[in-house]
Amino acid sequence: MSEVPLIRLADVTKVYHLESGDFVALDHVSLDIMENEFVAIMGPSGSGKSTMMNQLGILDVPTSGNLFINGKNVAAMTNLERTHMRRDTIGYIFQNFYLIPLLSAYENVEYPLILKYKRRDTSGKAAAILKSVGFDEKLSAHRPTQLSGGQQQRVAIARALVNDPKILLCDEPTGNLDRKTGFQTMDILTGLHKEGKTVILVTHDPKIAEYAHRTIQLEDGKVVAS
Amino acid sequence: MKDIFFDLSVRSVKLNFMRSLLASIGIVIGVVAISSMGMLGTNMQLIVKNQLTAGINTIVITSDVVRSEPGSFGTPTTGITESELNDIRDMAGTNKVIPIDRTNTQFSIGSNDGRGSIMGLDLTDMKSIMNVSEGSTPRGESDAIVGATIASRFNLKIGTRIKIGEPNISVTRPVVRVVGILPTIGMSSSNGINTDNAIIVSDTWYSAQYGGDKVWDQVNVNLNDVSTLSAVETAIGNKVNRNKEVVRISDASSRVTSVSSTLSSLTTFILAIGSISLLVAATSIFNVMMMSVSERVQEIGILLSIGTEKGEVRRMFLYEAFILGIIGAIIGGIMSIVIGYSVVSAMIGNTAYFFLPESIIYVPAGMLIGVVICVASGVYPAWKASNMDPIEALRAE
Repeated sequence: MSEVPLIRLADVTKVYHLESGDFVALDHVSLDIMENEFVAIMGPSGSGKSTMMNQLGILDVPTSGNLFINGKNVAAMTNLERTHMRRDTIGYIFQNFYLIPLLSAYENVEYPLILKYKRRDTSGKAAAILKSVGFDEKLSAHRPTQLSGGQQQRVAIARALVNDPKILLCDEPTGNLDRKTGFQTMDILTGLHKEGKTVILVTHDPKIAEYAHRTIQLEDGKVVAS
Repeated sequence: MKDIFFDLSVRSVKLNFMRSLLASIGIVIGVVAISSMGMLGTNMQLIVKNQLTAGINTIVITSDVVRSEPGSFGTPTTGITESELNDIRDMAGTNKVIPIDRTNTQFSIGSNDGRGSIMGLDLTDMKSIMNVSEGSTPRGESDAIVGATIASRFNLKIGTRIKIGEPNISVTRPVVRVVGILPTIGMSSSNGINTDNAIIVSDTWYSAQYGGDKVWDQVNVNLNDVSTLSAVETAIGNKVNRNKEVVRISDASSRVTSVSSTLSSLTTFILAIGSISLLVAATSIFNVMMMSVSERVQEIGILLSIGTEKGEVRRMFLYEAFILGIIGAIIGGIMSIVIGYSVVSAMIGNTAYFFLPESIIYVPAGMLIGVVICVASGVYPAWKASNMDPIEALRAE
C-alpha cells in the first residue's frame, strides 16, 4: 500500500438547504481510504450513507472541507474534469443496476469505453469482461429488461470494470438480489479486491459487510467507528 | 464512425415511434406548405414575367405633339412625320423599324356590329412580323388579317367580309376581306403590338380611308439584341428630340419591373403564411422533445453519473430532434414535389417553369428550413437534459 491515501476526506461537511431548514448530512467527517482497501460503510437510514456515496462518487461536492481523490481536490476541479474522473477512476455498482435500457448488455459494457476513447470498441475488451462474468455472445445481445436481476448486476459490474478504474463504488449491490445471487455478487467483488481494486461498499446488511476488511459506521452524519 | 449517441437517439425514436411519427408529420406539413407555396409564387412570377418580357425587345415611339399642318384647314393631327421616321431609321441601325397607323373603329360583320382597333401596316412589314395561325398575310389592298379575340367573337373565317366604319344607311362603307387569323397574343407580344382585338390592313388601304399618308401614329423598333435597348432609346431620343420633345419613347421594362415586384411581395406573403405551419410544427417537436427528456430522466442520470459529458448528452437529444427533422423533411420534400406540381398545375395551369432551378429550389430550401427548425426546437430540451443534477435524476422513477 502506498503512503498517500487514495481517498481523503478532510473535515468534510455537506449541508442541504431544505425548506424546513438546513439539514447537515455529513458533519465534519475526516477519513482516509488507502489503495486496495475493502471498506464497508454502514449506518441506519438517514445517517449520511448516500451523501457519503455521492461525495466519494464525485456526483456532488462538499459544502465545506476538502475531498481528495487520487491526489486531486475535487472542489477545485472543473465540471468536465469531474466527469472524466467519474469515467476513468471510479466504477459504479448500484442497487438498481442502472443499466441503460435502450442498449444491449454488450453495449452497456462497451459504453464507458466509447465515452473514454470516443469510438466503438474494437479491442474485444467489453466482450472479454462480459465473458468473465459469465455472459456469452448470445446473452450479451439481450436488453436489460430481458435479463434477471443477478444477470443485470453482473452486466453492471462488467460496465464498472471496463475502464479499469481504481475504485469500485458499490451502493447496496445485493439489495435487489436474492441471498444466493447476492453472495455470488460478493464473491465477484472479493475477487476484484484481490486483483487490486479498492472496493467501497455501502450496505445495511451486516452479513454483506462481513466481506469487507474495514467497516466505517455512520450516525447522524458523523463517523462513530472506523 | 458510428456514434453511440446517434444510436441511442435512433432507438429512442423507434421506441416512441407513434409519437415521433406524429411530430414528424408536423414537419412534413410545414415543409410542404413552404415549398409548394414558394413554388406557386415563383411559377406565377416566372410565367407573368416571361409573358411581359416577350415584348421588352420592342421600343415604342409615339407622338403626342399636336400640330396644325401649315396651309391645311384640317383638324390638327398627331403623329410621327416622315422626317422623324427617317431619323428613327438612321438611329435604329439594323434593327427593324415598323411604322404603324392605328385608330379605333366600329365595324360590322353581316348584321353584327363590333368595335376594335384597326391598324395599317406596310405589307412587307406585316409579312415579316405577323405569324398567322390560319390563312395567309394580305396580298391585295383590301385584304385584312384579324386578331384571335375578334375572330372567335364574331366567328370569322377566311373570306369573311368586314364593313369598316360607323353603320350609316346613307353611306356605303368600305369592305375588307379576312385572309388570315392571328393566334392569341395575351400579354406577351413578340413584336410589341397587341393584335388580339385588331383588324390589320395594308397601310395604303388605311391611308386611303383615314388619310394621314406619311404620318404614323406609332413606330416600333424591334431590337435584335435586348441588351442594346437603352443605347438605342438614347440614340433615337437624342436625334429626334434634339430640339424639343416631339416623340415619347417607351418600352415594357418599367411595367415588367413593377409587376415583378408586386408578384414578389405576393410570394413573400404566401411564404409567410406557409411558415406559420412550420411554427406550429416547431411547437410540436419542442413538446415531443420535452416529453422525451422527462421520460428519460433516470437514463440521463445514469449517463451523467458514469461519466458522460454534458455535451454528449446534449448531442444525443439534438440528434433525436435532427432525426425527426430529417424524416419529416424527406417525406415533406417528396410530397412537396407532388403537391407543388399539382397546385401549380391546378392554380396556374402551366407547369413549364416548375422544374427550373428558381422554382424547384424551394424543395431543398423547405427541407433545410424544416430540419433547422426541428433542431432549434430541440436545443432547450437538450440543454435541460444535459444540466440535470445526476443525483436527482437517478432518483427519478
